[in-house]
Amino acid sequence: MTGHPDHRDWRAETLLCGFEQSLLVQLVIDDETRIVLASEGAGRLFGWSRSDLIGQRLRQFAVPPSAIDSCQQSARCESGDPFELEFRTSSGSVVPVEVLCGHFVGPDGATLCYLFLDDHATRASLESLRTARLAKLSLLNQVSDALYGAHLTLEQVLEAVLICVAAGQGLRFNRAFLLLIDEAGQTLRGEIAIGPSNHAEAERIWQNLETEPVDLFEMMTTYDRSLRETDVAVNEIVRHLSVPLAEEDHFLIRAMNGRQPILVTGDFQAPGVDKVRELLGHDTCAVAPLTTHHGPVGVFLADNAISGSAITDLDLEFLQLFANQSANAIESSRLNRELERRLMDLRKAHRKQREDQQTLLRMERLSVMGETSAIVAHELRNPLVSIGGFARSLERNLPEGDSNREYAAIIVEEVGRLERIIHDLLDFIRPQKRLRKRVDCDQLIRQAVERMREQLEARNVGLQIDLQAGEVELNCHPGEIQQVMQNLVMNGAQAAADGGGTVRVTTRRIEGGVEIEVLDDGPGFAPEHADQLFSPFYSTRTTGSGLGLTICRQIIKAHGGVIRADNRSEGGARFVVVIPLPRPSGSD
Amino acid sequence: MAKVLIVDDEPNLRLLYETELRRAGYETMTASNAEQGLEYVDTMAPDLVILDIRMAGMDGIEALQRILDRDNTLPVILNTAYSSYRENFMTWSADAYVTKSSDVGELIDTVKSLLQQRLVEN
Repeated sequence: MTGHPDHRDWRAETLLCGFEQSLLVQLVIDDETRIVLASEGAGRLFGWSRSDLIGQRLRQFAVPPSAIDSCQQSARCESGDPFELEFRTSSGSVVPVEVLCGHFVGPDGATLCYLFLDDHATRASLESLRTARLAKLSLLNQVSDALYGAHLTLEQVLEAVLICVAAGQGLRFNRAFLLLIDEAGQTLRGEIAIGPSNHAEAERIWQNLETEPVDLFEMMTTYDRSLRETDVAVNEIVRHLSVPLAEEDHFLIRAMNGRQPILVTGDFQAPGVDKVRELLGHDTCAVAPLTTHHGPVGVFLADNAISGSAITDLDLEFLQLFANQSANAIESSRLNRELERRLMDLRKAHRKQREDQQTLLRMERLSVMGETSAIVAHELRNPLVSIGGFARSLERNLPEGDSNREYAAIIVEEVGRLERIIHDLLDFIRPQKRLRKRVDCDQLIRQAVERMREQLEARNVGLQIDLQAGEVELNCHPGEIQQVMQNLVMNGAQAAADGGGTVRVTTRRIEGGVEIEVLDDGPGFAPEHADQLFSPFYSTRTTGSGLGLTICRQIIKAHGGVIRADNRSEGGARFVVVIPLPRPSGSD
Repeated sequence: MAKVLIVDDEPNLRLLYETELRRAGYETMTASNAEQGLEYVDTMAPDLVILDIRMAGMDGIEALQRILDRDNTLPVILNTAYSSYRENFMTWSADAYVTKSSDVGELIDTVKSLLQQRLVEN
């Protein structure tokens, strides 16, 4: 500064600069009230540019002009106390101000007067600006607290931040668009947007939002109520916003990578701008990058397409402030979602493993059973044949009424039971490679079930048959299917017997197969037993081999079908067998 | 009176079958292994053979082949504790396959019908 050509003192230079830039209303006038120096604030108050004020007479702005004739004559000025004056601005309005002034001698010996005008209106507007700033800051603070504190889904977080960009108590943009880098990390893609599509909607919504309290969740609820149906248009727009990250010159990518907000005004030119303008249907918008410490996440795009009002530097500053907070919230809820997804995968894998393990266990059990049953067959069946056979002979040879004859009968009966168990065991492990043939489904089921009627009646159990499969042929081993039906019906009869109930057998066509149901009205089974019903040696009864249902499942499985059991809502158990029909041509 | 040869390594079963077959009106003879059974087939001209499968030494399936080599019109009933042999095609050449049971009724019925059939054929 000392090297400046006119050798002015740098301190004076600095003070002058400070004076001129000040938003406070300050003036220096000569003794004819001609303005010698004016501050920025003075220019704003009078509605003139600062430089145009220089040389004007202050008295011409005063109301009335006689209020300031010559400054030196003013006793008020000399007293050092503030006094009231009124000035007319360029727009014609009259502004009351409080004036403080003092004299000093200028460089050429002339007397000059320094005036400080304390303007209520300016002060009030500055204060309200400060209040508004504070309110926004407090909302942003609240939003960021809420975003981190609450367990919101990614969608809720996105919605919440956009509401804050657009809401009256928030950043007050008309429309807000959120673009995020997609999961493949290849493209900056429009995610969601909010905003009305016309003036009427805008008014209704923002009116609502402005009168309601400043609370994030209430804002979201209000949004839900009033904005849901109206943001179709903006979401249509946002779906078309998509920029490959490779397009590094694109202004959105540049803003994001450079971590610099951009105010896109009418004359702004950069790659990609025109297409975005076309999509938005509006020339001006604000772009704020979303960045976490891991790097860029996406961008906010906001505009005032409905009201057309200008976007100020302050608006952009706030948008960026808010973007910084949102980026972290978005990132963490994205991570959360990813974590949840992985957790789910893990759970699935775990469940699968457990199922595999159970299958393996069951197979192991079956193979052990296969080996042992061969031994059982030989080592038990032979002696049983002798025991039972001779007991039969004894029973026959003893005279009627002899108690030994009765005892022999008991041996015969018990041996018969043991032999049935062995028979079931061997049936169970026998490989099923018999020839199948096509038989009429309903006819086969009827034959099998009718054969049981007498046995059921002996137990005082009714039998209802309702066969509706129609003319359908099963490709099956008829004897085995009949065995399944007899097992299921006998099972039902044993359950129903206590109440002298009824067993009901139905068939019907279903997509691709036939469904056979065996229903009883007994007590049903305990839900925790549902998994074990078909396991070998699982039986809640004290009689029977515990293999009946296992064999049923084996047979149905060999026919490509499924068997399952559940409890009926009206009481009793239901066994459902589904057998697929042979494919129409040449597949058997 | 038709002669039935019983080949089984279980003495109790041999006794049971003998008792029941005699009661049903048949003449019986027994062998405790396959080799002895084959010898009786040659020397004693039975009308029907009841043959166990699992026996120490030669098993019933091999014995069956040898019997059929000598005389394929002689009816043979395979009588075993194993239902699984039913899947073995070597057993298909037998005239019947009866799983061992304390109820000898099925075995006796099979003997009866095979002998009747043979009578008709001859």
